[in-house]
Amino acid sequence: MENSKPRLIEKKLRTVEKRLVDLLTKAGYLKGRSRKFSEITAHIYIHQEVTQKLLRKLTGYSLGTISTTLQTLEKQGLVRRHSDPDTHEYHYELDGTVSQTLFRSLGDVQRYLYQMKEFFRGIEAKLGHPHLSRKKGYENIRQFLDEFNVIVPAHERVFQRFQTVVSDAKAKREVQ
Amino acid sequence: MASNKIPQDPHGFDPEIRQIEQEIVEFFAEKSLEFIGRHPIIAIVMAYFDIRRSLTQQDLQDLTGFSAGTISKSVRQLVDMNVVTKETIPGTHKHIYRMEKLPFTSARYFGGTGKLVEEMEKELKEMKETLDNHAEEMKDLKGYRKIYTTITQLLELISTAPMFMALIDEEVGKFIKENK
Repeated sequence: MENSKPRLIEKKLRTVEKRLVDLLTKAGYLKGRSRKFSEITAHIYIHQEVTQKLLRKLTGYSLGTISTTLQTLEKQGLVRRHSDPDTHEYHYELDGTVSQTLFRSLGDVQRYLYQMKEFFRGIEAKLGHPHLSRKKGYENIRQFLDEFNVIVPAHERVFQRFQTVVSDAKAKREVQ
Repeated sequence: MASNKIPQDPHGFDPEIRQIEQEIVEFFAEKSLEFIGRHPIIAIVMAYFDIRRSLTQQDLQDLTGFSAGTISKSVRQLVDMNVVTKETIPGTHKHIYRMEKLPFTSARYFGGTGKLVEEMEKELKEMKETLDNHAEEMKDLKGYRKIYTTITQLLELISTAPMFMALIDEEVGKFIKENK
């Protein structure tokens, strides 16, 4: 009986941890990520530093899935990889705090929008050949471009303004 | 893409137009993963909806070369994301999936995001309360500090969501309303 309370407390903490992982996984899934990718990312947010073995233990996913996901996260700049000098095992460390990495991702969205705009310029040029305007499917591409050409700059303004507001609020807090 | 062979086009698009469409689809497949972590299969299927708006699962199989299982899973995720709706084709047992508006201009999509943020805030607050109520007993347990920190940082981020949604409303709201 004496051991039952600490066990209950431990269980409560693990339940919160699982809920947190599930919540972050759901949020990732609803933004178009795979459940596996989102779950692995959630564990990294919580643990801050992981190995492939630890992620395998936490998620049960194959080492192939884990390795591919970590490569993508490393490419995105979310994690940094370093080798343990004793075990030679790779460690993957969250590059900054959870807040820092998520705020940094706003910059990624801005770069994405910029590249979209550049890419659509090339598509406009291709679609501009007069002989294409009577081809089946032309109207679909035209409508797609017309909508994106308006909405992408609008979203760029949203992200620029949001970043400014957040940076100003942060600077204000630091002064205080 | 799963196959280099271009199968018959479900909407009869001209091959030259199809080539331009393919470039758009490939752009989204590559860049969505790189910048926002979106799965390439979801990005590909979504790009076809961006352009064609109404598609069956069979259409998507023909366009992408992906298996029936992969397409079924992808459209289910897009429905969950509030990006497309599912309707039954009258007189059949088949379904058609429709993107009424681009997610960037869809009240339904932004509504879903707002709801998700609300749910997240509620759940995170409940989790924080549990940890606060048992702080003394839990503080030395493995992972307590990290879990607590993650929750508080997420709550801090979520507190900026209304400001973000207000900016969306200011800059994008007029397009959402125009499209209604």
